[in-house]
Amino acid sequence: MNTMHGIIFSYEKKTGLRELIEHRIHGSLPFAGDYRVVDFMLSNMVNAGVRDVGIIMHGKCQSLLNHLGSGKSWDLSRNYGGLTLLPAFAYAEHRENSGQFRGKMEALGCVRDYLRSIRQEYTVLADSDVVINLPLEDVLQRHIAAEADITAVCTSTLGGSRDVYFQLDDNGRIIDTAYDLFVPSGYRCLNLFVMKTELLLRLVDECMAHNRYSFQHHVLQDKVEELYLNAYVWDGYSAHIDTIQSYYQRSMEMLQPALREELFCSRRPIYAKENGSPSTYIDPTGVCVDSLIADGCNIQGSVKRCVVFRGVQVEKGADVENCILFKGTVVKKGAIMRHVITDKHVVISENRTLMGSENYPLVIGRDTEV
Amino acid sequence: MKKECVAMLLAGGQGSRLYVLTENMAKPAVSFGGKFRIIDFPLSNCTNSGIDTVGVLTQYRPLELNSYIGNGQPWELDRLAGGVHILPPYQSADGATWYKGTANAIYQNIGFVDMYDPEYVAVLSGDHIYKMDYAAMLRRHKDCGADCTISVMEVPWHEAGRFGIMNVDERDFITEFEEKPKEPKSNLASMGIYIFTWRKLRRYLIEDEADPDSDNDFGKNVIPAMLRAGEKMAAYRFEGYWKDVGTLDSLWDANMDMLLPGSGLNLLDRSWPIFGRTPSCPPAFVGTNADVGNSVVAKGCRILGEVKNTVLSYNTTVGEGASVCYSVVMPGAVIESGARVEYAIVGENCHIGKDAAVGLPPECAEDPDKWGIAVLGPGSVVAKGEVVAAGTMRSKNHREVKA
Repeated sequence: MNTMHGIIFSYEKKTGLRELIEHRIHGSLPFAGDYRVVDFMLSNMVNAGVRDVGIIMHGKCQSLLNHLGSGKSWDLSRNYGGLTLLPAFAYAEHRENSGQFRGKMEALGCVRDYLRSIRQEYTVLADSDVVINLPLEDVLQRHIAAEADITAVCTSTLGGSRDVYFQLDDNGRIIDTAYDLFVPSGYRCLNLFVMKTELLLRLVDECMAHNRYSFQHHVLQDKVEELYLNAYVWDGYSAHIDTIQSYYQRSMEMLQPALREELFCSRRPIYAKENGSPSTYIDPTGVCVDSLIADGCNIQGSVKRCVVFRGVQVEKGADVENCILFKGTVVKKGAIMRHVITDKHVVISENRTLMGSENYPLVIGRDTEV
Repeated sequence: MKKECVAMLLAGGQGSRLYVLTENMAKPAVSFGGKFRIIDFPLSNCTNSGIDTVGVLTQYRPLELNSYIGNGQPWELDRLAGGVHILPPYQSADGATWYKGTANAIYQNIGFVDMYDPEYVAVLSGDHIYKMDYAAMLRRHKDCGADCTISVMEVPWHEAGRFGIMNVDERDFITEFEEKPKEPKSNLASMGIYIFTWRKLRRYLIEDEADPDSDNDFGKNVIPAMLRAGEKMAAYRFEGYWKDVGTLDSLWDANMDMLLPGSGLNLLDRSWPIFGRTPSCPPAFVGTNADVGNSVVAKGCRILGEVKNTVLSYNTTVGEGASVCYSVVMPGAVIESGARVEYAIVGENCHIGKDAAVGLPPECAEDPDKWGIAVLGPGSVVAKGEVVAAGTMRSKNHREVKA
């Protein structure tokens, strides 16, 4: 216990999430009716006994800051340590043209003082846009048992060409790291790495001193000979959310009982921020099938194959199918919606018809009245 | 740290008229409305009214209640000064006693109240479902210079004989208190919610304790004594939803009121939120063949069957082809496929087997006078195909309990 420190990256980066990240960074993207994407990684860490977590953020972090608060919801509000929010204050000193971090090593370089204060022997680095529920303590144990320098979690299910892929030898050692593969092959990297804190500090110093910024390129690729890079293959559920399409598809997937049971397994609960909503009310005229419904909703219309977040109202005669309705969405009387994602507090007027399609869902930006 | 008003919440009663539901927990800890427990209502009212110091007087089976209240964080009662305090009976140099009555419970905690040196003390019950602004009641108390203010509400005249009735003058000062009068002179019923000027109450508590014949009860002893002595006793008229959920029928009724538009109990109204502590669980899932109507559904539920006019608490499961109507299902209960539950209260973590039947609608009862809701105590198991008749009460160890 308490041998691992957590660092989560949630800074702006290029993704295909369009309107959904207009007002937020991907860590605070709502997911599965009651969660923000970052809840999964935070819960993974807390469930593995991690008690100090730093979150590196940059860009539109207001929504993430609001969500995280003191870290109480994840049991990370502590007198000493606990949750530390790391906005990139030192950013301007390191690079003149402010913009996005070029890579993880640059982001870590900006919080070097924080890294020096880490008390734990090991550190786990993770991205906030991966939906996963895995036993991190097992990753650490395997890392120690293998006497590896860095252990990277990866999966054998292939993804898109934007992902990073590893080639492994027979002993599970990473012998090559590749990205921008036109034809993906190998093991897909889940951007979860465990290493000794000491090694992390050394690598960050070295990268900063040589204007190297990318973990994939300047560590995984450049040091493949020098360091023992071990792979931990996780073939349980994982979802990397980086486009509207993958967001929609991954959300709708949550309607499958088996996947949900795996992701929300009771041994390792996923903690969400409690906001004290009352229970949902389904009216006598309401129809609600094949859907996930969070608390505090009032369903008077018809809701089929939907993911419905907290406090959503669907009025009488409204007909909503295959949609994702974020917190506080109001669907007025007689509105018809198919394959639509509504961001927070969207109002769909009476008798409006909105049609997206399965491979191209329609996204309505936050606070919009349609 | 001085506070203007401290609340003392009476939560020590067994709630014996809830029978099997309170076998292992105090009445205020009983689940209500899908996500809540009864005590959430007075605690949330305190927070929403700006009272940040609350003593919770516990005695009967406090484990569940203690762990539920914890540090008071869900109600924002984890404060640097004040906050929520659990106050069980304790041992002192003169020996140890249980709380002998409601007044004695406060008497034994005079030291706690004195710590905050308050001007006023609100004495609340832990078994009422209502949303009430104690600050408005306190304003009335201060404005009319009362020593004691009692919250009252108008009840139908034909029911007045079941309540403690306050007779008032034209300025709504209380002239007489009658417990369950045969011929009521007024229809203003006491709601068991009091605000006292602490200086005064303190004196009466000490006098009451010195009287060996007293039952040490607010309604029976302290209030009548204050009236006899001519203290200024004001009535505060409350309008809105209020229900004492001390009986199985009233607990079931109050849950059903949540489903009745216009009942006045609207928990979706966010202007006066009720807070509660709930475990982390994913949103409710409603399956393809599910049929849910006029029901309250909390997170963590898995609904594959029919659910009508029912309150489903968090983490409950309703299997394929099962049917649940006019019932209150408490957290963690499992109703397997093909089972039928009607007019029932299903306690926490009950398991109702396949094709079992629990309860009956009143119109199907052979003898309507003997009809009643079926009640399963927490952890009860109903075997596959078994029938639990209407009006039956069953505890965890499979014992039938007579009301």
